[in-house]
Amino acid sequence: MRFVSSLRYAPAILVGRAVRTLARWRKPGGGSAIPGVIVNRIAPGFLAATLNGFPLGLVIVTGSSGKSTTTKMLVAILRAHGLSVFTNQSTANISQGLTSALLEQVSLAGTIAGDVAVLEMDEGHGAFIAGSLTPRVVALTNVMVDQIDRFHDSEMVVALLAKIAARATESVVLNADDRYLADLGNALAPAVAVSRYGVTREVLAEHPRGLGYADTAPTRLPAGTGLQLTRVVGRDADVQFATGIHSIRLPARGIHYAVDALTALSTARATLGERFVPTVACAALSAMPAVFGRGEVVTVGGKTIEFVLVQNPSSFQLNVDSLEPGTEQILVIIGSDVRDPSYFWPVHTSGLGHVLIASGLKAHEIALQLAYDDVVVDRIEPDVPTALDAFLSLPNPVSGVKTIIFSADGMRRTRAHLGLVSNSEDPV
Amino acid sequence: MTATSLDRPFTVVSLLPRLLDTNGDAGNARVLAQRIRWSGHDALVVDVHSRADLPEHVDAVSVGSGTDAALLPVRDLLRTLVEELRVWSNSGVPILAVGTGWELLSWGIDRADGTVLEGLGLVAGHAVPRAVRATDDIIVASKYGRLIGFENHARDYVGAEASPLGRVIYGTGNSDAPANGPQIEGLTMGEVFCTHLHGPVLACNPALADHLLQAAFDRSGLRYSRGATSESVDETARAARNQVAVRLGQPAE
Repeated sequence: MRFVSSLRYAPAILVGRAVRTLARWRKPGGGSAIPGVIVNRIAPGFLAATLNGFPLGLVIVTGSSGKSTTTKMLVAILRAHGLSVFTNQSTANISQGLTSALLEQVSLAGTIAGDVAVLEMDEGHGAFIAGSLTPRVVALTNVMVDQIDRFHDSEMVVALLAKIAARATESVVLNADDRYLADLGNALAPAVAVSRYGVTREVLAEHPRGLGYADTAPTRLPAGTGLQLTRVVGRDADVQFATGIHSIRLPARGIHYAVDALTALSTARATLGERFVPTVACAALSAMPAVFGRGEVVTVGGKTIEFVLVQNPSSFQLNVDSLEPGTEQILVIIGSDVRDPSYFWPVHTSGLGHVLIASGLKAHEIALQLAYDDVVVDRIEPDVPTALDAFLSLPNPVSGVKTIIFSADGMRRTRAHLGLVSNSEDPV
Repeated sequence: MTATSLDRPFTVVSLLPRLLDTNGDAGNARVLAQRIRWSGHDALVVDVHSRADLPEHVDAVSVGSGTDAALLPVRDLLRTLVEELRVWSNSGVPILAVGTGWELLSWGIDRADGTVLEGLGLVAGHAVPRAVRATDDIIVASKYGRLIGFENHARDYVGAEASPLGRVIYGTGNSDAPANGPQIEGLTMGEVFCTHLHGPVLACNPALADHLLQAAFDRSGLRYSRGATSESVDETARAARNQVAVRLGQPAE
């Protein structure tokens, strides 16, 4: 039993809960951020005090890409080790969303029943609230040049990540293949342990366009100095632990999922210490359902469809490169969320070969790029429901499965039209 | 005798594409090469990262835009190619320069902290800091038709008043509307074309692409004619441009 903060935050917690009840009464099912706004206003220390109060501490996952997948994998591994985990969904305003989520479970003494908190943080908001947090472990995924965030160049992203990493009290887990992160790790205070992970030379050589990082480190992690990804074939990967090689089944095809899994394994090891069991961790990873949106496989009207979400040029390229060869039915939907489609031009889309329909508000722009990459586009149909109906009415392909590549807006419209559940998950 | 083809592929040089492709501007080299192929000729894109990569023949050049953090290393690399750039621009090789690539070909860049980064001095004028970054769609009336694209720059450009690429219909261009005189965008000098329209400006505005290609073909005594594939792809580009134009209250073409 912990008496961390007596009843100091009890009034704010009660007010927050009352507001939440009112918000839900007004809009059933609404998980509004308003209670969070109010509690943060009347009790600004609540969020930090609660997050810092877990027995096994706070774990933060941040970086340009792969945060969500890595966080979900890490949570699955920790739960498989018998831990009770508090975790979040990434939201636009992390401090308000988190406070609202915490209000669901917090006791009036300001504590939550749970062993550890695992939070995914956007580098910008993360750096903003990191000053008040004392994470035990900080995991850094990568630095990618993401033109959605184009006003920030790599150096600025690294500065934000360094600010979050500097808050770690025990260890920083980082991707040694990412030159910016490797340098960041070398500059950290010696009091903090640095756990590095990376792929082998052979794995990197199989990906001639690289792994999507803004800058790839010139050398690979020396064997025996951290977890290493030694093989990736389709959805199967091998990881070298100090005790030997273990195989995992990934939630989707692609080197980026394998590296996300490697990040999650390294972070779980740093969090659990002696309690970490590789076989338990790998079994938990392999049992995960397909990750939402990216590589997710759904069945609609008896037809199997694979969803591929592209969030930035790097993920677009990795997804094109890891598409099952011979996929003959492809629908691409690029929506209003891609403000300036120029941003996708560094991607080499020629691997798609043949696209049946280009759709979404930016249908013409993406069709233009595909044409210049020698990809045959049969039809341009900006209206998403019309495109989906036409695509689904085709008989099942002889080769590969029906594949929809979409931006986040395209995904939203697709799910709405097909009557699939929206992108929400129990945050706990 | 009039030749009908080259005995070698048309060669489009993409300068420093690893550093100058922030907005996909290096794709303009790909656009030129594809349109040459679609017109029935061989073409290749040569990525030039250093002098060692320079091909024997150069028919067109694309210079993209990069991050501000890379300005100095890019300028230093471009300086090693300044003689070639001078020869190309003086001999009518079409050159497209976008964003920071353009700024580095100019007299220089005045930075917000008061320092000046000297450019290559290839084209007149220089870049100066803006109060607020210009980030939006841009529409320009030009000799090559109405150009539509996207701009995203933290600096204005002064000194192109005598030879702009066109007049701004919507957006910022080289600067906010001046008290007197037209609001202009870009710079031209012979067959050197400089613009803030980033990304695949030549794919979206094929009339400008075809002007550059005709210039390249002229140098070899060949006539450029748009291929059938170009015609259908250009319809897609027109639809994309019209969508932006109509959204901004401009007539469709």
